Amino acid sequence: MKIRVQSFARFREIFGSEQIREMEEGATLAALLLEMAAENHAARAALFDENGTVRRYIILMLNKKRIDREELEKTTLSDGDELALYPPVAGG
Amino acid sequence: MVVTVTHEDFAINRLIEERKNPEMGAMVSFIGVVRDDGIERIELEAHQEVAVEELEVIRDEAFAKFPIKSVDIIHRIGDLNVGDNIVLILVGAGHRREAFEGCEYIIERLKERVPIWKKEYTKEGERWVPGKGE
Repeated sequence: MKIRVQSFARFREIFGSEQIREMEEGATLAALLLEMAAENHAARAALFDENGTVRRYIILMLNKKRIDREELEKTTLSDGDELALYPPVAGG
Repeated sequence: MVVTVTHEDFAINRLIEERKNPEMGAMVSFIGVVRDDGIERIELEAHQEVAVEELEVIRDEAFAKFPIKSVDIIHRIGDLNVGDNIVLILVGAGHRREAFEGCEYIIERLKERVPIWKKEYTKEGERWVPGKGE
């Protein structure tokens, strides 16, 4: 199945503004983040802290709905899902 | 009433005149401006569609919490120089207290939740402005 991932601000400079990722059926959002982190050091440092935990300040929007860190393991992805990956916001 | 994320600057005096109505005894405006922190310019990036949706939710929350009559929110994106306008929040109400409270509520929620980011450009290089909790 195909998952569209959009990244913004400094995450865009690491992951590109948009990528289509091929995942196995039944994959979780946690698995997707691990795959993205495995690609290089900058990606891992952006997504995970030194304990291997998803950084608390990252904002994840799946199909425009915010996902809490506690939900990553139990959120199963579906073909065509859209994930937006935000660093902390700084507008205003 | 306007809620938008745009490259265009805003005309505050014209907007105030358009919003005035006989029920309003108070209009409070907040204008965020690019400050000279030793920078040459800033760049503002947004996830535009989601940013507008989130601003609309914040506007609706403000109407639910405070007895206000009008809300306008204009947030700019793109390249901005020192002194340029960044954001305008204009709240009209019967009395000043609710206008002030509504305006403060909106700018505080905006800074917490709306997907907009700032990059600063200086003579030494460029850097993203850290967000909350970073």
